[in-house]
Amino acid sequence: MGSLQRLPGVAWLLLALLLGLSAIAPGFASAANALNVAQQATLLLLLALPMTLIIMTEGLDLSMGASLSLCTVVLAVTSLGSGSLALGIAAALLAGVLIGLLNGVLIAWLDLPPFVATLGTLGVAQGLALVLAEGRSTSGVGDGLATLWNGAVAGLPVPLLFAVVAWAVFHVLLHHTRFGVAVVALGGNREALKLAGMNERGSLVAVYALGGLFVGLAALLLGSRLGGGHPTAAIGMEFDAIAAVAVGGTLFERGKGSLGGTVLGVLAVGVMRNGLNLLSMPSSLQVAAVGAVVIAALVLDSLRGQHRGFAS
Amino acid sequence: MSTLAQKIHLAPEQRSLLLRLVVLLLIGTGLALVSSAFLGANNLLNLLRQASLVFLLASGLTLVILCGGLDLSIGANVAMSACLAATVMKATGSPLAGCAAGLASGLLVGGVNGLLVTRVRVPPFIATYGTLWILHGLTYWFMAGDTIHGFPPAFRFLGSGYWLGVPVPVFLMIGVLALGTLFLQYTTMGQEIYATGSNTEAAALSGVPVLNRRLLVYMLSGGMAGLASLVFLARLNSAEGDMGEALTLQAVGAVLIGGTSLFGGTGTLAGTLVGALVLTVVLNGMNLLAISANWQPLITGVIVIVSVAADALSRRRSGD
Amino acid sequence: MKLKILAGIAALILAPLASAQGERIAVFTKNQTNPFFQVLRMGADSAAKQMGATTTHLIPTKPDSIPEQMSLIDDVVIKKPSAIVFTPVDIKAMVPGIQKINAAGIPVVNVNDRAEGGKFVAFVGSSDHALGVVTGRYLLQALGGKGNVIIIEGVKGSGASAERVRGFQDALKEFPQVKLLASQPGNFQRLQALQVMENLMQTHAQIDGVMAANDSMASGVIEALEGANRKAQVIGINGTKEAVDAIKAGKLLATGDYNGYLQGCISTMAAIRELRKLPVPKEVIFPPTVVHKGNYQPLDVPLESRSCPKWEEVVKS
Repeated sequence: MGSLQRLPGVAWLLLALLLGLSAIAPGFASAANALNVAQQATLLLLLALPMTLIIMTEGLDLSMGASLSLCTVVLAVTSLGSGSLALGIAAALLAGVLIGLLNGVLIAWLDLPPFVATLGTLGVAQGLALVLAEGRSTSGVGDGLATLWNGAVAGLPVPLLFAVVAWAVFHVLLHHTRFGVAVVALGGNREALKLAGMNERGSLVAVYALGGLFVGLAALLLGSRLGGGHPTAAIGMEFDAIAAVAVGGTLFERGKGSLGGTVLGVLAVGVMRNGLNLLSMPSSLQVAAVGAVVIAALVLDSLRGQHRGFAS
Repeated sequence: MSTLAQKIHLAPEQRSLLLRLVVLLLIGTGLALVSSAFLGANNLLNLLRQASLVFLLASGLTLVILCGGLDLSIGANVAMSACLAATVMKATGSPLAGCAAGLASGLLVGGVNGLLVTRVRVPPFIATYGTLWILHGLTYWFMAGDTIHGFPPAFRFLGSGYWLGVPVPVFLMIGVLALGTLFLQYTTMGQEIYATGSNTEAAALSGVPVLNRRLLVYMLSGGMAGLASLVFLARLNSAEGDMGEALTLQAVGAVLIGGTSLFGGTGTLAGTLVGALVLTVVLNGMNLLAISANWQPLITGVIVIVSVAADALSRRRSGD
Repeated sequence: MKLKILAGIAALILAPLASAQGERIAVFTKNQTNPFFQVLRMGADSAAKQMGATTTHLIPTKPDSIPEQMSLIDDVVIKKPSAIVFTPVDIKAMVPGIQKINAAGIPVVNVNDRAEGGKFVAFVGSSDHALGVVTGRYLLQALGGKGNVIIIEGVKGSGASAERVRGFQDALKEFPQVKLLASQPGNFQRLQALQVMENLMQTHAQIDGVMAANDSMASGVIEALEGANRKAQVIGINGTKEAVDAIKAGKLLATGDYNGYLQGCISTMAAIRELRKLPVPKEVIFPPTVVHKGNYQPLDVPLESRSCPKWEEVVKS
């Protein structure tokens, strides 16, 4: 991340939150609570990491929340219907990837603006989730699934393992593969892509399909947490992911992005909510505080001279 | 279709509008064939009233998107402005004072959004997303779960009344459409808004006060949210903290289906009106045909994709 | 009201500094926007004050958000309140969360919506089904046992909605001469119910009665009727202040009393009694009552001046 000057405003915000909340919020500065916050944050992180890449390509994915809900429903319905958890998991991942591919095709081949394409697939995914869940049992998938959220491998809770592996995967993809180069080029310099002989359309589709895959993985965690699926469980989560990414310093234009910044952004919002809960702050004020923090982080960046052009 | 339209020398935007009107007519005809109630006078009037509620909100949003921006906070703005207007009306007993409060609140929020985007340089998506949360928080805190209900008939006329047999909001819709279109097409400011959205650097270089125009459209969007909130309040006869939850997405849908491009610089208020009508007609049809509400998001999503894709394809084919 | 808010803010700033007096009850409700839960919360606060305990309210910032309520549970397990009063935002999805509370050894009382799993000290609520039946029956009797009716359902997939609608349908079975024209969801939303009713009035020329699954929707239906200059008898469920006002004005026929205030009172009392080793029954289900022109007076009292009844008055062992 380089020099302190280049640290996004959220890093300072996070530091301030951690220090302040440790001082005044009862129970905040405990190992149990830290684990709490980290576990809760993994779900959002699994969405925010691919969202970082998507935003770097000057795109957006508004369908992630609906797609996540759909995948949990697919997970539950398939597992319960076929009696096989493995089949359910495969189906959930497939559903996520398919929605991602749909996004990619609409954006890369039909040239639809990402906002519009993913708004449309949001509707499609949400509708499918509601229709699929109607009249069907979507809970009680069984203990095998529950171990995903509650289990631990070598002392590390499984969700955290997911998060670490996801971050590693994206880090390698972005910084050490041709795909990563393509992502950056898709953001700032599409001509360079073509000159380098890389497939512009294919790369763009891949970015969204990758997002879909991680939505599927997130569905495994969420499904485990809920003990099943639910058609509206993740409504609006894509906005949280987008906010975390923007707060973390990734620009909407010209493809400058930071995975580390995204991690900080996800943590900042999670820490703040957790702290405010522990402080028993009235819920309505918490709502306002979330908005304030999001804006504050970007105002900080703006004041420190990190310009963000007119983004759309 | 496109060659025929080209033969009649229609501008691309007029072509786009014509295409949408045709689609609307097709949907309408289909519904009329399947449901005997669709073409009833009352149903059509209800449709127009429902569409006008969406249009009032979507009109301000159209201006913001034309200028290359985005406003996600309009639904929350409606809730806050309506609750404020309701409180003032009850406290002072004066509908006029309440209306003034609602409009002022809407404009203020719009101003804040505009300043965040133009002076502080926060990306519109994030700025309006942040204000959305802040507005929700303030509204919930202020209302504390209460409902304010029961307003004087003089005020209610705005939302539920009829004039010359037509619902009052429809007149507001026509008025906004006329004034807005005149503003956009025939005033310098209006043209500057198109220019800013179309190519900001070029507009700035040719002397357009880009930042001021942007601020203006956000304020107008907020103001229209304020106006819409009054009409909603009058229609529902009550104010609650979660009013207008679903409105933002509907308004965005209306703008997009209406042919306004997210890149800025292309689109019309008339298109947004047609978009609002398409959405309303589809929902109305689903009610009349007793189709489960679960299909709504899917159908709406498909319509948005299809209409924008059709635009993209037609632009490609005619080499725009 | 404003003074209360200021006092509340002062209290929350000072709270961590004050030593805890009495039991700390954490109250979970579904959202901040539905007036019903506001009433429930006030009942809970009143009961706690009467018994010398304190309450904290845990409400999702996004209304009815499942992941948020899950996170609130995670957080509350860290804070370890003395006891919990819990309304699940979803009766199935929250079960793992309740099991987490059970595992942490915190006693929990289920209020309002019966969760489909987990161990509870007690369930305190009203029977949505019974309310649907008695309120529906009241309407059908007022119609003289014949005519056309419409049902406006709540949110598809909500337990409360399904049970209330089932109650309406069971009431209909008692009056075979009444015709059910349509049953459509209004999502518990005023505007949606209004527009659905507007649309349904186009397809059906004669509607004599409307059974709405909650008061907000009943209000929307009344607005639609008035706008179209048509008349019909309308009933709702919840027993909100707005419904009482509408009954007084003769616009609403009746509402089923969901006893929000009492639910808050009794569930909190139950939690505190459990902590004090006093007997608590497994279930407290309020008898279904229909509020109409003849008996609305007790509900027509501003909430601030209401107080919880004595435990023994309500719970007959």
